[in-house]
Amino acid sequence: MLGTYFYHEILRKTIIGFGTLFNNINIRHLKNDGTVLDETKVGLSYGPMQKFLTKIQEQSDLDKSIALTLPRMSFEMTGMQYDSTRKTGITQTFKAVDGTNMKKVFMPIPYNITFELNIFSKLNDDSLQIIEQILPFFQPSFNLTVDLVSSIGEKRDIPIILDSIDFQDDYEGSFQTRRAIIHTLRFTAKTYLFGPIADTSDGLIRKVQADVYSDTNTKTAKREMRYTVVPDPINAEPDDDFGFTEDWQLLGDSRDYSPTRQNDV
Amino acid sequence: MSLNPFFLQGSTNEQYLVQDLINEQLKIFGIEVYYIPRKLITTDDILGEVQSSKFDDSFLIEAYLNNYEGYAPDSDIMTKFGLRLKNEISLTISRERYEEFIAPFLEGISSGIRDNIITGYDFGDLITRPKEGDLIYFPLGERLFEIKKVEHEKPFYQLGKNYVYDLSCELYEYENEQINTFIDEVDNTVEDEGYITTLSLVGLAATATAVAGITTNAISQIFLNNDGSGYTSIPTVTFSEPPSGGIRATAVAITTSIANVQSIKRLEITNGGSGYITPPTITFSGGGGTGAAATCSIGGTEFSVSTLVITNAGLGYPVAPIVTISGPIGSGVTATAVATVDGNKISTLRIINPGLGYTEAPTVTFAGFSTVGVGTFVYNEEVTGQTSGTKAIVKNFKRDTSLDANNPPIILDVAINSGKFSAGEIIVGSTSSAEYVVKSHDLDSKDDTYDQNEEFELEADNILDFTETNPFGEI
Repeated sequence: MLGTYFYHEILRKTIIGFGTLFNNINIRHLKNDGTVLDETKVGLSYGPMQKFLTKIQEQSDLDKSIALTLPRMSFEMTGMQYDSTRKTGITQTFKAVDGTNMKKVFMPIPYNITFELNIFSKLNDDSLQIIEQILPFFQPSFNLTVDLVSSIGEKRDIPIILDSIDFQDDYEGSFQTRRAIIHTLRFTAKTYLFGPIADTSDGLIRKVQADVYSDTNTKTAKREMRYTVVPDPINAEPDDDFGFTEDWQLLGDSRDYSPTRQNDV
Repeated sequence: MSLNPFFLQGSTNEQYLVQDLINEQLKIFGIEVYYIPRKLITTDDILGEVQSSKFDDSFLIEAYLNNYEGYAPDSDIMTKFGLRLKNEISLTISRERYEEFIAPFLEGISSGIRDNIITGYDFGDLITRPKEGDLIYFPLGERLFEIKKVEHEKPFYQLGKNYVYDLSCELYEYENEQINTFIDEVDNTVEDEGYITTLSLVGLAATATAVAGITTNAISQIFLNNDGSGYTSIPTVTFSEPPSGGIRATAVAITTSIANVQSIKRLEITNGGSGYITPPTITFSGGGGTGAAATCSIGGTEFSVSTLVITNAGLGYPVAPIVTISGPIGSGVTATAVATVDGNKISTLRIINPGLGYTEAPTVTFAGFSTVGVGTFVYNEEVTGQTSGTKAIVKNFKRDTSLDANNPPIILDVAINSGKFSAGEIIVGSTSSAEYVVKSHDLDSKDDTYDQNEEFELEADNILDFTETNPFGEI
């Protein structure tokens, strides 16, 4: 059973969806007269990175002149747990269309993905500005509608729940160590994982044809007419607004339609 | 007296001698560093922190590098916030040299008194010693260090006095502070660091010109009696033909969407026609909608503006400029027109009201930017948006000839911006007096290798389904 290749990038999409919640947070510094001195968009990054890449990207010049720039935010996926409270029947399926083919999809498996968002700032005031712009959105969750499996257009609401907020401020101690202000916010994203999506043998019904006989014994009776129905327009998709074109054809012959040969014999 | 009176425990002259020997040793074996004092701009007296500072003075002083064997191993650390450098140095500077050659220049600086920025922190008296929070530019490796601790009792009271300061320093954590010491090697340390945004500017501008033609028996006014509904494309407007010898008037319809209903907003005349004895009828065709109806009046024997011809499309119009047509001499109705812009040039010029009562062809003027688009912004000067009032500090200014040699895109990188510059406004440099028109202002950090904000937003736009727009994005 295992071994069928599939990859819907659901976890990657969940990471992107989570990350974009925090990609436009700004902080301001004011002058003494209350006017804005500067406004800064807080840099956001997915924390885990290849070490060599970090080194050559951020220290392309080996003589980097400063320690780093602040404030910064980073986040990372910290865990995945099966969520039994959202369990559905494991054999239950639904059908979807990827444009041309009917797809059979097993119900997705509910998983909770835990994230950690870290905020590193030089000033306490910077942290407070950032935190205040985040917290009101989570009561305690914020719903994102994510196109989890684009091939079947499966959009799901993913609640992002704010679980906890930790705060670390190392202002005590020797003057040889720097103060570091780091807020850590932990979130749970209630996402769904989809298994492989198979083409079903059931095609899209694009034409219905019925031959009408003059008697119930079709061996002896003549067929009188043929009734066909096709969607209008003929290339309509299930989600489209479409009608039907009906056609009656008088036959009056003794031939029969062969479904296997798909013609009259 | 408890001490032996036959021995001196440090006379003043001996102390001078030791201080001179130390000064000499530092001048022989030391290295030259820049001492850069911090100036406070704003402080938060509740949270107890300096919120913004600037560094615009520097003093050259000799210092002995105590960690001559180099930085501690593993000073480069991979953190969840990217690469963090924790290089530390320990410097020894002469107490006398600091007090005599740096301190006298600092009076009033730290507290902001000299710049009329009085803060809650009174550091006015704290000028006789190096301060924690000040910066040291270390030329070996061109690094910027922040003083974490000043040790003044080491060595401990030799001959009853202390002669040096030991400065414990760590690489500076930068947060858009302005560093403008006018010493290039110092200022350039943060040239590409921090939150830098990019302005696209409009190049050298030229004022557009146009001429107006006037005619009698032409359209003098259009009345849109019914704006119709349901238009999916722009309908064609047709005027009935004038008597033989006349010129048929032409106009285009401008549509608008109100409450999701597409209707006619107005008619813009491209030619007022001539030879009409009675007002022509106006018909709408195509466009998918219904109901639009308009009538017009004609000027009879009085002249109206019937044509507008662009003689010079100009250059440097980020948005459509206001078009002004001079009024008729004496009484009459002044004509009005509207322009559209494509590629920073005037692309169309159409008549809204042809006016009435002209005796000679009026002049057409464009609100232009012929005086801007000149000059070169200089590093670290302040630029100000003339409409938005937004201010920023120049980081880099270039004409990118690699993209287009003839009409190179003009890019201005700025930092410490107080907001977003508006498209179409003029920005002026405080030092260079350069003036340019803003085409656009991209608020994403220019080339900070850490930031992925833009990447997340662009990827998310493909997979997230927001009812209207992404509330967390701006692209």
